[in-house]
Amino acid sequence: MRIRPTVKAAAVLGAAAALTAGCLSSGGGGGSSNTGNTITMMYGFTGNQSDDFQAVVKPWAQKNNITINFAPTADFNNLINTKVAANQLPDIAIFPQPGIMRTISATGKLADLSSVLTMSDLQSNMLPGALKAGQNDSGTQYAVLVSANVKNGVYFPKKAATAAGLTQGPQTMDQLQQLTNTIAGTGRTPWCFGIEAAAATGWPATDWVEDLMVINNGSDVYNQWVQHKIPFNDPRVLSVLNQLDQLVLANGHVNGGRNAVASNNFGTAGNPMFDNPPGCFMYRQGNFLTQAGFFPKAVLSDLDNTVGVFPMPGKTAESKPVLGGGDLAGLFSANNDSAKKVLQYLTSSEFQTAMAKKASWYLAPRKDVPLDSYPSKTSQNFAQIQNQATEWVFDGSDQMPGAVGSGSFWKEMTAWISGQEDAKTALDKIEASWPK
Amino acid sequence: MLIKIVNALLAVLGGVAGAVVLFYLLNKFAEILPSRWEERLKPYLFLLPAFAAIALYLIYPTIQTLVYSFANAASTQFVGFKNYSDLLTSSAFQNTLFNTLLWIIVVPAGTIVLGLMIASLADRLRPSGEKFAKTLIFLPLAIGAVGAGAIWKFIYAANPPTQHQIGLLNGIVTGFGGNPVNWLQLSSGRLNSFLLMVMLLWAQAGFAMVLLSAAIKGVPTDTLEAARLDGASEGAIFFRIVIPQIRTTLVTVFITVLIGVLKTFDIVYVMTNGNFNTNVVAVDFYNQLFTNSNAGYAAAIVVMLMIVIIPVMVYQVRQFRAEEVAR
Repeated sequence: MRIRPTVKAAAVLGAAAALTAGCLSSGGGGGSSNTGNTITMMYGFTGNQSDDFQAVVKPWAQKNNITINFAPTADFNNLINTKVAANQLPDIAIFPQPGIMRTISATGKLADLSSVLTMSDLQSNMLPGALKAGQNDSGTQYAVLVSANVKNGVYFPKKAATAAGLTQGPQTMDQLQQLTNTIAGTGRTPWCFGIEAAAATGWPATDWVEDLMVINNGSDVYNQWVQHKIPFNDPRVLSVLNQLDQLVLANGHVNGGRNAVASNNFGTAGNPMFDNPPGCFMYRQGNFLTQAGFFPKAVLSDLDNTVGVFPMPGKTAESKPVLGGGDLAGLFSANNDSAKKVLQYLTSSEFQTAMAKKASWYLAPRKDVPLDSYPSKTSQNFAQIQNQATEWVFDGSDQMPGAVGSGSFWKEMTAWISGQEDAKTALDKIEASWPK
Repeated sequence: MLIKIVNALLAVLGGVAGAVVLFYLLNKFAEILPSRWEERLKPYLFLLPAFAAIALYLIYPTIQTLVYSFANAASTQFVGFKNYSDLLTSSAFQNTLFNTLLWIIVVPAGTIVLGLMIASLADRLRPSGEKFAKTLIFLPLAIGAVGAGAIWKFIYAANPPTQHQIGLLNGIVTGFGGNPVNWLQLSSGRLNSFLLMVMLLWAQAGFAMVLLSAAIKGVPTDTLEAARLDGASEGAIFFRIVIPQIRTTLVTVFITVLIGVLKTFDIVYVMTNGNFNTNVVAVDFYNQLFTNSNAGYAAAIVVMLMIVIIPVMVYQVRQFRAEEVAR
């Protein structure tokens, strides 16, 4: 008698399985049909960044008789995917990363911007290579950078560094290595380094690797590597890891030693620079570090006089590559004149100059924004670093598939730096994790 | 604020009223039928809403997960057993399984031993002392795992040697003139995994203590007295008189903690996110689904987890039934 309920249960489960088995997901088609002058703009920055943005855009929109519904969300990537799948598209979306923009462009719902914007103007006035970040693999322009950031700044404590012989940035990688060796030779520690970031532990290490990739091999090889046209574990990447080893991770080169790096928080790892005597003299990190919450308060209140910044040098004195990032605006409503106008405005020097004046966190991806629009010497410094760029590339891990860019790349770099794996094993594992 | 309260009240009222109306209608429907059929069908009709809810929220997702575990990362094509074979042959996942096994072996047993020890020791304190000790040990149970993570970060934290140590352990180590240790990176001998297990023990010991303490107090005193009269030592009384009489409670605590361990996610995610060789199955599942967008691997992991849990659940249900019969 015991067999009967089992058979019944199996039959029920079997029937249910048959009903659901065919249900693997499928997509739909379509696009936004809004042609009115009330448009929706979705973006991923919130809080005071969103406030600053709206404070600049709203008056302009009013003058031009356009009403904009601002839709900021901290969970942009998930939300935009849901909206695209449900075909409830905003008219304009500002993407935090090119990766997700490219995935969505493949659905055909994003407009080709070459007929909406004056491409020649952008071509000559934007950072060299910045337009590429908004293109898909075959070169169609689906989005354009409307804000930028610099990820290859090296911070140093002005007074202490002068005493140690660091007054201006080194011009080549060789000089940087020399400077490092000189400081280490006097028994002091040249670098600070920290990659702990809770669940995102490891990302600051990926920035280092990407930076050294573009410095050593140029933007073409860099972009091929990011797009997986050359394997992730290419010998050139291995030599970059070895270079990072020699420059920063070597004995006596990093505050606390190599083992401390993986448990040292990226936001505060640079703060020993301001100790007396300094725990280190250089900390390489993005321009966001000058916002509140990272440097000690006393340093922040006198930023221009206490903290200096130089860009990571190129291989030669002539080459000045910049590793950057930023937000990219794309258009879903190709037939909406108001939306087109807004997009033209966001990519204009008029908007970007106003933003630079309004918001201390903002950097313009256009070079024709006057330097004196930036409120502080430090942000002018960053603007100068990116304006002098001979080539500008977008953060690679933000463009790689999530499994690599926010998965194995982070984890394997953490395992390598904390000494659990050698460099080759780490790179091989990342290559193996690239989705096929 | 007022509108929110009104909304909440309306929702509660609406929900209850809806349920009442539903059962009223089902009852009416049964009454229309000839009385022989009414008697036969009524129990099933009344069971229907609950069964439908379980089917929708439990059985359907389970089957869908099973189906997805045989499909590719985007669930668009079937790939057979590839997800399972990929996972089981990858050294990373083997490590994850080994870690999970360690958790299964150490934590439930550790919780029992700790809980039993605390319960029987507290039993010997004066009433006020017992209350105080038990409250203190029970307290961590009220703290969520993420909160526990925040607390334990201050115990395991490691700063570079030139900085102040904010971590308790490293405060002690450097106080004795040692160099700070990166506790959570100590993967040799899986020491870091054990350090994470300590957190779960800390959180669960109170739960075990409360149940076991009640069980120990329920042991009839005449059996203890009889043993004492026969000249049994305290150890013999504990192991041969008390333990056999609280066996069912021990099993319940063991299984509850075991199921909790199999689902352990938050502690590992918050403390290391599976780095430094501390990954466990639930964290791997999360990362496969939300970081790697690989629904196939994620579903396969969950199915394997389910296969491990089912026998435990069956055993627990049987145990429960046996107890019911015994009463």
